[in-house]
Amino acid sequence: MSADVTTALGVDWLLADSLAPITEGDVLQPLYDGAALGELVLPFCSYCALPLDLEQQVCDGCGGHDIAWSRVEPAGIVHAATVMHRREPGLVLASSPYPILDVELGSGHRLVMTTAEPEPSAPAIGDPVHVTFRDLGGVQIPSARPILDPSVTTRTALSQTEARS
Amino acid sequence: MTTSGRVDLVGLGMTEMSITPGAAPQELAREAVDRALADAGITRADVDGLLVGSSQGIRPDRLGVAFAAQGGFGDLRLLEHVEIKGATTIAMVQRAALAIAHGQARTVVCLFADAPLVAGKGAGSTYAHSGGQSGTRGLERASGVLGSVPTYALLAQRWMHVSGARPEDLGAIVTTQRAWAVDNPAAVARKPLSEDDYLASPLISTPLRRLDCARPVNGAVAVIVSNDAAIGHPVRLAVRGTGRSHPVRHRRAGAESWFGGGRRAVDDALEYAGMSRSDLDVAELYDPFSVVTLMLLEEYGLTGTARAGDFVRAGETGRGGSLPTNTGGGQLSGFYLQGMTPLVEAMIQLRADGGGRQVPDASVALVGGIGGRLDHHAALILERAA
Repeated sequence: MSADVTTALGVDWLLADSLAPITEGDVLQPLYDGAALGELVLPFCSYCALPLDLEQQVCDGCGGHDIAWSRVEPAGIVHAATVMHRREPGLVLASSPYPILDVELGSGHRLVMTTAEPEPSAPAIGDPVHVTFRDLGGVQIPSARPILDPSVTTRTALSQTEARS
Repeated sequence: MTTSGRVDLVGLGMTEMSITPGAAPQELAREAVDRALADAGITRADVDGLLVGSSQGIRPDRLGVAFAAQGGFGDLRLLEHVEIKGATTIAMVQRAALAIAHGQARTVVCLFADAPLVAGKGAGSTYAHSGGQSGTRGLERASGVLGSVPTYALLAQRWMHVSGARPEDLGAIVTTQRAWAVDNPAAVARKPLSEDDYLASPLISTPLRRLDCARPVNGAVAVIVSNDAAIGHPVRLAVRGTGRSHPVRHRRAGAESWFGGGRRAVDDALEYAGMSRSDLDVAELYDPFSVVTLMLLEEYGLTGTARAGDFVRAGETGRGGSLPTNTGGGQLSGFYLQGMTPLVEAMIQLRADGGGRQVPDASVALVGGIGGRLDHHAALILERAA
């Protein structure tokens, strides 16, 4: 009985806590610090504002090496999507296949994430998503929430969808 | 000793490619080296260079430069651990050929050993548990990206979206390569495969099925590179050209995350060889997943004006096709020993040792290698010496 209560309170819908990232001193610590406050924080070049890869140390646009982690609009579009059927025992708790999305954010970054809650299928390439967080072992992990009505999404995300199609 | 103006591949040794746990990498390496030396008709005393490669992350006892002592070699003039992931094998051959051409070594053993299969765990499980909890990889794993299949599944979905390729194209790659593997005694999967068999294979990560994924093995291969005309297997294979391409991609709006930029490796290798794509008799590509072959055929410009899916479904990569590809079954049906898989098959074909899968009159081969998430491309042109 008590085990069930624990499960209901603190456990991610998808993964075991053992997969929680080590945040302290990690290169992605600014992302996790922002996520703990419910904000999506990603790296930009402080000189030319180019969106950078998560572990990038030097800007490939201007050569700057000062990284500014800044809050971004938690919305984007699906760049690629798969449904993962293989569920590794001991690591994956979900009882059915789960989505993995590569999301292109309005900020220009791309971030791989699963969904905030179980979904019967993955959204399609070009679909808009909202970014929220899952709690995995006390660490907030960016996760997607499909937007069923595309008119709800940001103008930025929509214009990018159109630009590419 | 007679020095040849050419650098040749003069010896090949391989262990059994085992799909069950067994010997440690060092033991496999020793066996492959012994066989390669015997194949070339030499002893360790004739070797003055050793290049070793091994995969990252799975085993703490991975092969390294300590193998010079562990493996019983004498003093060497060249000794390095080469590491650019799946492109390592060709990088080793390239490094050896350059050193030999510059007189810095004469006879170099290029060695790769891997033993990802350990007792009590399947290969998929071993890979799912590796990767750690830090950096971008840690964040991805915390998002369910376990092992390498889901990333290549995302790549596959994106490639199909951009190129118009279809899931049945993946099936055509798989069944075509299996047909080659039927006549490869070293292949781990040799039963003929129909399209229905393919469709019955369980999905791992859409669109990739189990049969779209390589078969990791425990094994080792050693290849001997030399310009000593007095030694070696009777059929000498000349290193005609090598090329590399390391596209540095950034995952941001306006760019693709996983493809583009590898073609230069093939262009450079062909240019160095003074050849063109029409000179290629066989192509042996690095194919950890079916989608990679499909993509590389097109990205490397090997299908003319055809889309890769049409090219493969028309039989062009199979027996009697215009460019027999992955003629031992590749990594999908043959065995996944990283960059050694395509190199071994190219050597077998050019030596005319292919038995039932021999491509008639094969004299020029393209060998490809990729590493990371298509971050590293390496190409090698081999020619059977007259």
